[in-house]
Amino acid sequence: MFLEIENLTMQFGGLVAVNGFSLGVAEGTIQGLIGPNGSGKTTIFNVLSGYYKPSGGKITFKGKRISGLPSYRVTASGFARTFQNLRLFKSMTVLENVLVGMAQHAETGLLSAIFNPIAISHEEEYFHEKAMGLLKLLDIAEFADTLATSLPYGHQRRVEIARALGTDPKVLLLDEPAAGLNETESENLRKILLQIRELGVTICLVEHDMKLVMGICDRITVLDYGKKIAEGTSSEIAKDPVVIEAYLGQEDNS
Amino acid sequence: MNNTSIFIQTVIGGVGIGSLYALIALGYSMVYRSMGLVNFAHGSIYMVGTYFGIMWYAGLVMGLHVPYPIAFVIGVLLNGAFGVLLERILRPLAKLDLMFMLLGTIGLGYVLDNLFVIIFGAEGFAVRSPLPSMPLVILGVRIQPQMLLVIGVSAILMVALQLFLARTKTGKAMRASAMDRDIASAMGVRVNRMNALTLAIGSGLAAAAGILAAPIVYVNPAMGAAVGLKGFAAAILGGLGSIPGAIAGGLIFGVLEAISAGYISSAYTRGIAFIVVVVVLMVKPSGIVGEITVEKV
Repeated sequence: MFLEIENLTMQFGGLVAVNGFSLGVAEGTIQGLIGPNGSGKTTIFNVLSGYYKPSGGKITFKGKRISGLPSYRVTASGFARTFQNLRLFKSMTVLENVLVGMAQHAETGLLSAIFNPIAISHEEEYFHEKAMGLLKLLDIAEFADTLATSLPYGHQRRVEIARALGTDPKVLLLDEPAAGLNETESENLRKILLQIRELGVTICLVEHDMKLVMGICDRITVLDYGKKIAEGTSSEIAKDPVVIEAYLGQEDNS
Repeated sequence: MNNTSIFIQTVIGGVGIGSLYALIALGYSMVYRSMGLVNFAHGSIYMVGTYFGIMWYAGLVMGLHVPYPIAFVIGVLLNGAFGVLLERILRPLAKLDLMFMLLGTIGLGYVLDNLFVIIFGAEGFAVRSPLPSMPLVILGVRIQPQMLLVIGVSAILMVALQLFLARTKTGKAMRASAMDRDIASAMGVRVNRMNALTLAIGSGLAAAAGILAAPIVYVNPAMGAAVGLKGFAAAILGGLGSIPGAIAGGLIFGVLEAISAGYISSAYTRGIAFIVVVVVLMVKPSGIVGEITVEKV
């Protein structure tokens, strides 16, 4: 399997946030991860992206173990993520935010920055063009030189996605990308995610917007209290009585 | 000599000394910004950097007298490499409370000061300027050539630093990891490496300041204490963690010192400069350029 999570457990003191969770994600698909608040979705993302070392189990990506690696190495192996609460680099422009992630793959290091400024300027040009391309893809190119945090909320979400794509990920982890978006923005996001999948990027999506999740996910996994309670296509999930009770039922009350 | 040219002369002297404070303040602010560490060993690092450069120029190493510009470059590079080593030593401290940081970095400063007393002896020495000692007279204003060198080289270094941080990808990565280390590392930035580079740059700038100052001051292993304190005051005055703030703070502090020495009394120089710092901080506790708050997670 492209991305394989095996028997993952994450424990914080006495609290078991994720309990024996397993999941296989196929290349080029959009994998949904849903469940009530506190069911362990973001924890799984934090383990995947190297913030936490799992208490048990392992994660392999293209056959190589990535669990327990520091996050810059997880990123280097092809993972990128966005965050539930927006965390853009405050005093940087939209373009600079995207360039940060891109720069880490650069071949030229500090020494060549000093001794070979020409190679650097070519590279900078290349990165600049590539970053602008990503901004166009996300339809925020006109704001390239604006301070990222001065943009409206919906646009900042897109900057986060562009920044994540800047690291050239094979797998993109999106943590509630539709949170706080209105109907139109959410529809735009849907189109953008489909375009990103077209680029060959595998997407893992944690999201509460059911319309979005049901509409674009190839497979959906449902979590409750840190455990997997169901898995399948959107139509299978929508019919599953266990899911309806644990998740959709609760959604109606809230 | 009329009053105007005396005033101009005083201000130029202040700008010269102030640029040195600014170079040192940059070291405090950059390290604080990226590691959340207040590094009270920085004054000693300035002293170490001075020796790293001046020892080649002043014949302390096998009687060698290499030209001043080469000694300058060697000193800056050696102290930069020393900064990388320091990151490894200081890394555990950056995670602790301020009290531990203070104790740890002050302790490190003592170790360095005394290590250099053991190696080079406690008594210092004067260093002759590579430039002629005859003051230049421009429109009735007398300026020491070494002072012009100090101002010129410091200005070049500060502009270069700004360009490096704003334009290069490493500079962007450094800024990013200072702003939010978690996100930066999710973007593939090696945060510890960026911190090492920050300490290398801060230490290199301190060495530059020390080697430029050497012909003006008296070189000895205790030279870092007073300058380190003033550089820190300058960084606080400008807003700790802010790069333009460190530069502005250093220049203001230097000019204040020079004016109070020239017009009031050189005996009260430090007192007056520090009183101004205290007053400014009472009015604006975040420092002059302090609107950028540094958040640590």
